[in-house]
Amino acid sequence: MKTALTIAAEEWRYWIRSKLALAVIALFAVMLVSVSWVTVLRMQAASAELDHHQAEAEETFVAQPDRNPHRMVHYGHYVFRSPVPLASFDPGLDSVTGQAMFLEGHRQNSATFSASAASGDPGGLSWLTPALTYQVFAPLLLILLGHSAVVREREARVLPSLLAQGVSGRSLMAGKILALLVFILLLLVPLGVIALLAVTTGESLMAAAALVGVYFLYLSVWGGITVLLSSAFSKRSSVIAALAAFWLMVTLVLPSIAVNVASVTAPLAGKIEMELAMLTEQKDLSDGHSVSNSQVEQLSAELFQQYGVNRLEDLEINIRGLLAQKAEEKLTLAMNAYADKRMASELRQTELLTAQGWLTPMIAVAAASRAISGTDMQHYHRFLRQAEELRYDFVQDINQVHAEQLSYVDDINRNRDEESYNRSRVDAANWQLLDEFRFDTASASSRLASAGTPIGMLLFWLAVLFALLTWTGGRLKP
Amino acid sequence: MSNAVKLRADQLEIVRSGKKVLGGISFDVASGEVYALLGGNGAGKSTTLLGFLGLLPLSGGSIFVNDIEVGSDLKKVREAIAYLPESVSLYEHLDAYENLRYFLQLAGTPYDRSKVEAALDRVSLDLESRGRKLTGYSKGMRQKVAISLAILRDTEILLLDEPTSGLDPAAIDEFHDLVRDLASSGKTVLMVTHDVYGACQVADRIGLMQDGKLVGEFTAADGERIQTETVHRAFSDRHPKNPQVA
Repeated sequence: MKTALTIAAEEWRYWIRSKLALAVIALFAVMLVSVSWVTVLRMQAASAELDHHQAEAEETFVAQPDRNPHRMVHYGHYVFRSPVPLASFDPGLDSVTGQAMFLEGHRQNSATFSASAASGDPGGLSWLTPALTYQVFAPLLLILLGHSAVVREREARVLPSLLAQGVSGRSLMAGKILALLVFILLLLVPLGVIALLAVTTGESLMAAAALVGVYFLYLSVWGGITVLLSSAFSKRSSVIAALAAFWLMVTLVLPSIAVNVASVTAPLAGKIEMELAMLTEQKDLSDGHSVSNSQVEQLSAELFQQYGVNRLEDLEINIRGLLAQKAEEKLTLAMNAYADKRMASELRQTELLTAQGWLTPMIAVAAASRAISGTDMQHYHRFLRQAEELRYDFVQDINQVHAEQLSYVDDINRNRDEESYNRSRVDAANWQLLDEFRFDTASASSRLASAGTPIGMLLFWLAVLFALLTWTGGRLKP
Repeated sequence: MSNAVKLRADQLEIVRSGKKVLGGISFDVASGEVYALLGGNGAGKSTTLLGFLGLLPLSGGSIFVNDIEVGSDLKKVREAIAYLPESVSLYEHLDAYENLRYFLQLAGTPYDRSKVEAALDRVSLDLESRGRKLTGYSKGMRQKVAISLAILRDTEILLLDEPTSGLDPAAIDEFHDLVRDLASSGKTVLMVTHDVYGACQVADRIGLMQDGKLVGEFTAADGERIQTETVHRAFSDRHPKNPQVA
């Protein structure tokens, strides 16, 4: 261990005295800090704006005057998903899945983008996030800095002298890796700062620490690959060529192929195609506007028996509100079935993509990073489910108000004249029934559990590299 | 001279890149003895040294350092040896002190500044150069730093590969004196060289190598005989008209 520490310290001295190395480090530091800073500011601005929109939407809804309850069902409501704290580091799928949704009766609308998100990146530059910088560019820096670790000793013919001092090949490799590991820890400082900022805005310390840990594993994989290939060739140019090819494959080519493989292997039905299929199935279901005679007759008979009357006008409750409730319930069950099916397909596709993390650590780290940050597909589905829960609750609560506070007679006569219409309105105080919406991420432990498989992949990569480095170190020749 | 054998090669064979570089050589070097392997380029001299260091796999025979078979305990073997490679390779971005400190640390030898100064004095490296990075050093100056490292390690055995290559005549004489001093203090020295005159001056015994074989062995007393036909034969493949041999 002492020998490895000595070699690591010497490697650092070499880097510090090499102006090129310092220039590369400085360039990357500027890039990382600026990208991190811009992303943090962007997320904070988006968060403030979406929270403002959410509060405004809620205020607008509850401030509505006396209205016919069914008009309020269609008046609808907006929900907004504010970025989770760690989205400042890894916005993940947030940039492609939308953060706003219009909720109304009888429909499950798609998430769309808020005006700010849609117009905030006219140049398409927002793709460069701190997470992507770590995933794609940090390995490049490790390559630039570490590619010569072993081959430099060989080219300068120092290797025989080192080995002759009693330094084993394994100690030499360990020392070089140790030097890179210290550098990796420095690289992780900006991520640590972002993670701490996230903790101050409500993120769990466990999730923040896990995110830093995941990137440490990922960059350690790259450190191991760099030293391994540096020891495998006798010329620096060969090492650079091999590492550059490997980097291209792992960070650009394979992820691109992986996405295509996943979408071909588990294709998603198009949204229009899916909605047409759902409409076909729903044609027999009522949305409450066109209730079939049989449904009315069946419910009327039940209510007549319950209330001991034989006319709808004599019921203490408005059958139209109840019919709307029942119709909404059935329709929601059908819509949920389709939504579940679609989510299952999307998850299957995501799982297929993640499985290719066995081939490239970049896919593994991206999957783990999104899961821990709360910006993965599961969290998008979580948003859809939470929005749907709110939609269903407020629509059914309004239908309940419709049944209880608007008489059947006033309801069916609402279009007779203005006075009749006014009688079909209910008190605006009822709109207070709307619950506040704040997107609630999964617990840190649950997110970590979701990231379990990709973390396992990174550990697998490290185990393989450890074995290869140990084997190569034992056979290192001048 | 003590009789204890410190280095022993027994029918040593080494194959490199599919070519038999050493074809079954046997010799030994005793404590306090200077043994020079003399031969032309490609004779297998440097390969023999790498074999003693355990840096090349053997394809036949055996090789011992302090009666330890090389390969059975490489750590002990390397602890006993200081090695000066043919092309002296030190770190360009470090000065002489930093190079010595680093290599001594790796060898597990404590760094003592006064001993370092003494070793550098002994190899006559001028004072003002010692604190300069090696980038501006001549080959001879680098050689001196490497030799001082071997002195500082204070090992029982020194393996020197073309140690006087690149040194001026005065420095060569100084170096030969140094090697004789070390041998008289009990160090075992195995050196390889093309320099027939130098070998005769410094070595107790000289082994002549040609095409991976030991084709003759002489003592210092055979000085005249060394510079005759046999030596000519050893160099004849590559240097048929070598003036030193003529």
